[in-house]
Amino acid sequence: MNKKWIKMFAISLLVVLLVSACTNNGNQEPASNNKGSKDGQTNAASEGKPATWIADRKIKGLVFMGTDDYTEDMNPEMKAKIKELTGIDFEIQIMKADRSIDGLIAGLASGDLPDFVAFYLNNSGRPEMPVLLKAAREGMFTDLAPLMKDTKIYSKYLEKGFLPLDTEHSVMFRPEFNGSTYFVHMNINREAGYTTNLIGGPFIRKDIADALQVDPRTITSTEQLYELAKKIKAGNFTDSNGKPVVPIGPAYWGGSETDKMLMDLEWGASDQRIKQDKDGKILHEAETPYAMKKVEFVKNLLSEKLMHPEFFTIDESRATEGAVNGTWAIIGNMHSMQDFNQDAHYVPIGPIQDVEGSTRMKLSFKSGYSGWAIPTTTDQPEDIMKFADFLATKEGKLLWKYGIEGRDYTLDAEGKPVVKQEVIDLKAKDPNEAKKLGFDGVGNSWGNILGSTDTDNIADFGEENWADKANAGRSRGADLIAEYMNWNKMREEAEIKDVYTPTAFLGEFANGTELKAAFDNYNDSLVKAFYSKTAEEAQKTLDNALKQMKAAGLDDYLKLLEEKNADPKTPVDL
Amino acid sequence: MKAATTASLKPTIVKRTLWKRILIHRYLYFMLLPCIAFFIIFSYIPMGGLLLAFKEYKFNKGILGSPWVGLQYFKTFFDSYQSMELIKNTLIISGMKMFLYLPFPILLALMFNEIRNKWFRNISQSILYLPHFLSWVIVVGLIQRILAPDDGLLNQFIASMGGDGSTFFMMDSNYFYSIMFGSHVWKSIGWDSIIYLAAISGINPDMYEAAKIDGAGKWREIWSITIPSIMPTIIILFILSLGNILSAGFDQIYLLRTPGNMELADILDTYVIRIGLQSGQYGYATAVGMMQGLIGLVLVVIANRISRKVSETSLW
Repeated sequence: MNKKWIKMFAISLLVVLLVSACTNNGNQEPASNNKGSKDGQTNAASEGKPATWIADRKIKGLVFMGTDDYTEDMNPEMKAKIKELTGIDFEIQIMKADRSIDGLIAGLASGDLPDFVAFYLNNSGRPEMPVLLKAAREGMFTDLAPLMKDTKIYSKYLEKGFLPLDTEHSVMFRPEFNGSTYFVHMNINREAGYTTNLIGGPFIRKDIADALQVDPRTITSTEQLYELAKKIKAGNFTDSNGKPVVPIGPAYWGGSETDKMLMDLEWGASDQRIKQDKDGKILHEAETPYAMKKVEFVKNLLSEKLMHPEFFTIDESRATEGAVNGTWAIIGNMHSMQDFNQDAHYVPIGPIQDVEGSTRMKLSFKSGYSGWAIPTTTDQPEDIMKFADFLATKEGKLLWKYGIEGRDYTLDAEGKPVVKQEVIDLKAKDPNEAKKLGFDGVGNSWGNILGSTDTDNIADFGEENWADKANAGRSRGADLIAEYMNWNKMREEAEIKDVYTPTAFLGEFANGTELKAAFDNYNDSLVKAFYSKTAEEAQKTLDNALKQMKAAGLDDYLKLLEEKNADPKTPVDL
Repeated sequence: MKAATTASLKPTIVKRTLWKRILIHRYLYFMLLPCIAFFIIFSYIPMGGLLLAFKEYKFNKGILGSPWVGLQYFKTFFDSYQSMELIKNTLIISGMKMFLYLPFPILLALMFNEIRNKWFRNISQSILYLPHFLSWVIVVGLIQRILAPDDGLLNQFIASMGGDGSTFFMMDSNYFYSIMFGSHVWKSIGWDSIIYLAAISGINPDMYEAAKIDGAGKWREIWSITIPSIMPTIIILFILSLGNILSAGFDQIYLLRTPGNMELADILDTYVIRIGLQSGQYGYATAVGMMQGLIGLVLVVIANRISRKVSETSLW
């Protein structure tokens, strides 16, 4: 009887294995929705059609990015306008996942992809990059280089000097692709060093700074920050609920290590921790005295109750609540565009000097953010490129950034948009209702996905952000703070660099996955060291983390960085 | 000739009898259908993906078309400097949940059984079942607030008693096992006691009456009637739980993990997610997951055999 059951079990298991293995995604049939309703009118400007006409078809995209950043609901009038101008019935779907990369991996593995896919992609060091490269190498995406040639905006990507180095050599036109490219890196600014007046870092409650007669702009070292925190504690200040303030609270977005607050103790950026010393040797933070210096500094703050005990781990809701209630005298990290700070009652500290004693603003030559690709299963991929190009033109941007002319804005004598007051009022009164109008200015960001690149808002629309001219945009607080910090002077003196981040080459490093895990372990070990009972225990924790990084190939990776940095095509931010 | 005829008829008779039985109990079989479909769709069909443990998965080739890599992923895992620590941590946590936790729901079921006031029993049962329906995200959120340094409930209590009141329990690895086990007991004990309670309610009341006539007290009844009667249930549930020996519960541990307790809280389940899936290494993740399952299966088979020999209670 037993044998019979074993046989039955084995047979059924085999059948199941066979059936499920056969239901693989190797079948790369074109997606059904791609077939659309092409009617032979692909050539634009045929009879009665506008010059922007592309084709009478549907374009559907799958977005592997969070719903906080993008929205899939589209306003019917906006959809109709797109249809009228281009013939395209545009639709996007957002893949919901705990982490966007999980969604991307699952989506690519399923093989059932629509006309285009979009994803986060800050730079080639982003975790999504190896997954995208794998998909490109395995022939999942269409070569976009030939499709870009005859476009108005995306053809700029083929011009020398338009793309930043990382985008050009490591994201899009990688040497291994021999002139082909399989993804488009988005949000490339038209001009080098283009940036908004957004200021990030630690902020202090202005009333507290005034009461202590301290100019926060003069705090340029962690030592001064420590003294300031002690004064705050001694000052017995309270929050809006009458409770005592915490001298140094966590970042507005929740627990994290905040490099800008500890700049003179940070060896490279906190997400990199790799830098060259004065002798030209490239070192990881764990190999320098800065790691323990930082641990000692933070341990002091924690033991003297000058820093919130959950500074590195607190959840976002409590961190935000503390900021809004004024419980944190100093917010470890936030930026100047927060809604709650439009009156600038929190002002920036510093900036704190870096390990080289500089407070100079550092800007990327150009930076990219997010990307998209066209699966090889897509029918007529040139339509998607043409549509993306339309959205990236001034006319397209006007549509997805400002809405419909007459309904949402009017044009002034110079042809620049002037946002209608009723739309501004609606956004202030009921942001969710305003969002239904369906354009970026009111928080509906469908157009960014394919159209946000070659950006120069001042040149195109006469203002940095939507409705700035009406002085009701989202940057009133930012403007006040920028003025307070003399941002224009900082911008003038900024250092502009076109470089790779030190971790950008992990993808091509043989032991990259292990080393990445060891880097993550170091970050956790650092936080563990902050909370260790003795300095010896902290040192031991850091030593163990360094040992793991060495075992995972840190020395070889640092050598690779030396080689990369020596190559003019791949300078590294060291 | 007669023997041959009998042999050829026998399967037909058995078959007919089986079909007849199915026909007679068709409504019961019909009710069973969704359950069978559930297991086929969600448990058996996904088993086909196990092939990935031996293949280098290519997006464009699917599971069958991807090239074979043999046992490479298993080798990579055991060569990794983390593997032994991951296995050790997993075994400790799952061992605690399996062995240390085992008596808790049994004791609760025995206690419920002895409550005579029906109203009080229903209320207390409902209260104890409730945590089962809360997700670990909520439970760990509650724990974080209760154990928060300075303003957490526990620290405030400690401070009011003259203590320090600033202990960061979640960041101290000394408290990890207590927090992990305590929260597991709190969340699971009520729900897990149901099956024991059902087993207890199936005990013939005549046995208790006979014991009373023989002069047995409450403790003797529990010790000599209740526990032996539910022993088969205890053994079967224990054997089944052995299948999860290398699976210590992803969501709870993932959420409780902090930099301070990471040397105890990094387990195979979190490793599979972190290294395997988040880096797109499906084959590697499948190999580690398959290893967990296979070791669990072997342990279930061994435990079942031992149990069959020792106690005559077994799954099959």
